[in-house]
Amino acid sequence: MDTRDGTKLSRIGQIAINAHDVDRATAFYRDVLGLPHLFRAGQLSFFDCGGVRLMLDKPEKPEFDHPSSILYFKVGDIRATHRRLMDAGAKFEDEPHVIAQMPKYDLWMTFFRDSENNLLALMSEVPRSS
Amino acid sequence: MDSTATSLGMTNMGITGIGQISIITHDLPRATAFYRDILGLPLLFTAGNMAFFDCGGVRLMLGPASAPELDHPSSILYFRVPDIQAAHRRLVEMGVKIEAPPRLIAPMKTYDLWMVGFRDSEGNIMQLMSEVPRA
Repeated sequence: MDTRDGTKLSRIGQIAINAHDVDRATAFYRDVLGLPHLFRAGQLSFFDCGGVRLMLDKPEKPEFDHPSSILYFKVGDIRATHRRLMDAGAKFEDEPHVIAQMPKYDLWMTFFRDSENNLLALMSEVPRSS
Repeated sequence: MDSTATSLGMTNMGITGIGQISIITHDLPRATAFYRDILGLPLLFTAGNMAFFDCGGVRLMLGPASAPELDHPSSILYFRVPDIQAAHRRLVEMGVKIEAPPRLIAPMKTYDLWMVGFRDSEGNIMQLMSEVPRA
């Protein structure tokens, strides 16, 4: 789209995340991931993640009843966050590992499941010491 | 949340934001054309069978599902636009499939929240959203 007018897609404002039990999912995103809970509106539960709103919702139609896209949460210290989330009861699929060597940093990731079995990831850009 | 985490804009678990979102594609050139030419997002780079876009600091990673379990539609991503009526008209002109005309979805305290749903080239439902200040 044209970047000079009002039609430019500026950024992601919100991401929908399917939850089959919104109370259980709210507890996970609040207590395990530690994200600020914004508000609840009926079966919708909203969180803030660095300016992007996450909307937990029951799928409205069978077509929407599928796992979430993989969301990659940025962290400063991936090993420390991995340990904290493990201690808080998150189920990890692997250990933090280098997934790509970029020119200036190593990209680390580790994958885990939320309470609704959605696959999520932590990511961290670790500057290369030369 | 401890004070160090707060000063760094982190949660107590150290999460600072969304860095990347994966979007499953079945035809990468088709999807790359859609996100670049129709949505107008900057293409950062391609790597093998993946294409990376920037959307206001969040990276979108387009690529095939790496396991059958992951071969499902994307989460609904809500893209912010300044003028939702104009953006909707532009999508229609470019042949994008619209789910329903732009509608007022929630009157908030200081603005009206408008949204319009559309499909990307891979059949994923996406939305445009706009916070329109109340006159």
